[in-house]
Amino acid sequence: MSKFGVDLEVHIASLRRYARALLRNSADAEDLVQEALTRAVARADSFQAGTNLRAWLFTILHNVHVNQVRSKAARPQEVDVDDVESKLVSPARQEERVELREMMRAVDELPEEQRKVLLLVALEGLKYDEVADMLGVPIGTVMSRLSRAREAVRAKLANEGGVTLRRVK
Amino acid sequence: MNAHQGMGRVTEDELHAYVDGQLDGNRRLAVERWLVEDPEASRRAEDYRAQAMLLHEMFDTVLREPPSDRVQELSDRLKGRIAFNDNRPAWHARPLVRFAAAVMLVVAGAAGGWMGRGVDQQAGTPVAQQRQTLATFAQEATQAHRFYTSDERFQVELGADNQDELNGWLSKRMGRDVFGPDLGRVGYRLIGGRSLPTDLGAGAQYMYANDANKRITLFVGAPQSGNQSNFSFTQNGDVATFYWVEGPLAYALAGRLSKEELLEIAKAVYQDVKAGPPRREAPPEPQQQQQQPQQQQQDHPAGVQPISDTQKAKES
Repeated sequence: MSKFGVDLEVHIASLRRYARALLRNSADAEDLVQEALTRAVARADSFQAGTNLRAWLFTILHNVHVNQVRSKAARPQEVDVDDVESKLVSPARQEERVELREMMRAVDELPEEQRKVLLLVALEGLKYDEVADMLGVPIGTVMSRLSRAREAVRAKLANEGGVTLRRVK
Repeated sequence: MNAHQGMGRVTEDELHAYVDGQLDGNRRLAVERWLVEDPEASRRAEDYRAQAMLLHEMFDTVLREPPSDRVQELSDRLKGRIAFNDNRPAWHARPLVRFAAAVMLVVAGAAGGWMGRGVDQQAGTPVAQQRQTLATFAQEATQAHRFYTSDERFQVELGADNQDELNGWLSKRMGRDVFGPDLGRVGYRLIGGRSLPTDLGAGAQYMYANDANKRITLFVGAPQSGNQSNFSFTQNGDVATFYWVEGPLAYALAGRLSKEELLEIAKAVYQDVKAGPPRREAPPEPQQQQQQPQQQQQDHPAGVQPISDTQKAKES
């Protein structure tokens, strides 16, 4: 029995989660995923059966995102007040807990290249070499970004006093 | 940093790979040895894990939100375009399956993305197939154990204050009658449980703690074909897991305990499961098992060939 259909659903759910974590705005995130899937459909023939579907999809999403950032930078646009607000009003309910709020802030303060690596590895469970291929950087770069991201977050959480992450045997 | 005798020095990268589940068995041992000697490194590993858990807490909600119509439509089109040789059965299209597939990420993502392994492997005989499925199930149980015991805040979805409610809820989620066995006689009390997706469909995780606040989890799943199986054992890092099939359900008991300690508890689970769920009316007498587990259980578990936890199929 093939599990292909379910796998694809899982990968797409994963893309949506990553996009949300990266952009922190559900409309932007859904747009990004939509654009990536549009491209994936157009290029479906280039997907090699038996190769890594998840990595293929993430790479497309990454490229679309890079292009979006680039074209936004090229034409500075007026900022819609609603947009700003929806960015500020981040998912409130989950942030009730202090440690979640602090974590959110610590992640947001990371340089984007580090944030991406942390999210891809720690949230999406991508392999280091998949991340390296996807971002087009050597694996050593992935590792150093990951290490710096984790230590930066750790330092920020530690500074917040109350947020000692308890260990349980 | 301390010297790391025997297995070569542990690198910074390896500490990350250990946390992310991307390290092979030998090096994992080396890292674990290092962590025992170096409390600072050990704290870092725990903090990194905690970060991952917080990320999941913050963003896994997305998995439960339905995609936009446009994204759903594109998903379906993409599925059609690259569904090479794929004779997927109709049930894949059902919304519930979609939902389950999405939620599967909660565990799989946390576990470092091992999901998908074992799925494409050609299994020969039905027995081999079941072994494979059960090994995957045990792996899921181990990962879920690691994930949900690593911080007290995430331990259960529903507490065990009202056990009828807990069992009823989980039974409903699984579509089968399940219950959290009474492990009082081996010193563990039920704290609560949560519903988790598994390779076999919805599963239930029951969590127990003893007086020293040591946690064990019992993972219950519903295999397609419930061939009775003996206890199997797998060790993944510091987490030991016994798993078996009894009646229509598969069980995996996981804990950071020695194999022998865990086996005693596994026997207690086995006994209590055989005895049946707690009922308000008196349980039928003949079903009651003798409380001494020695007789029927002691011989086979130790002799069982452990199913390896090293079935690492490459993804590409």
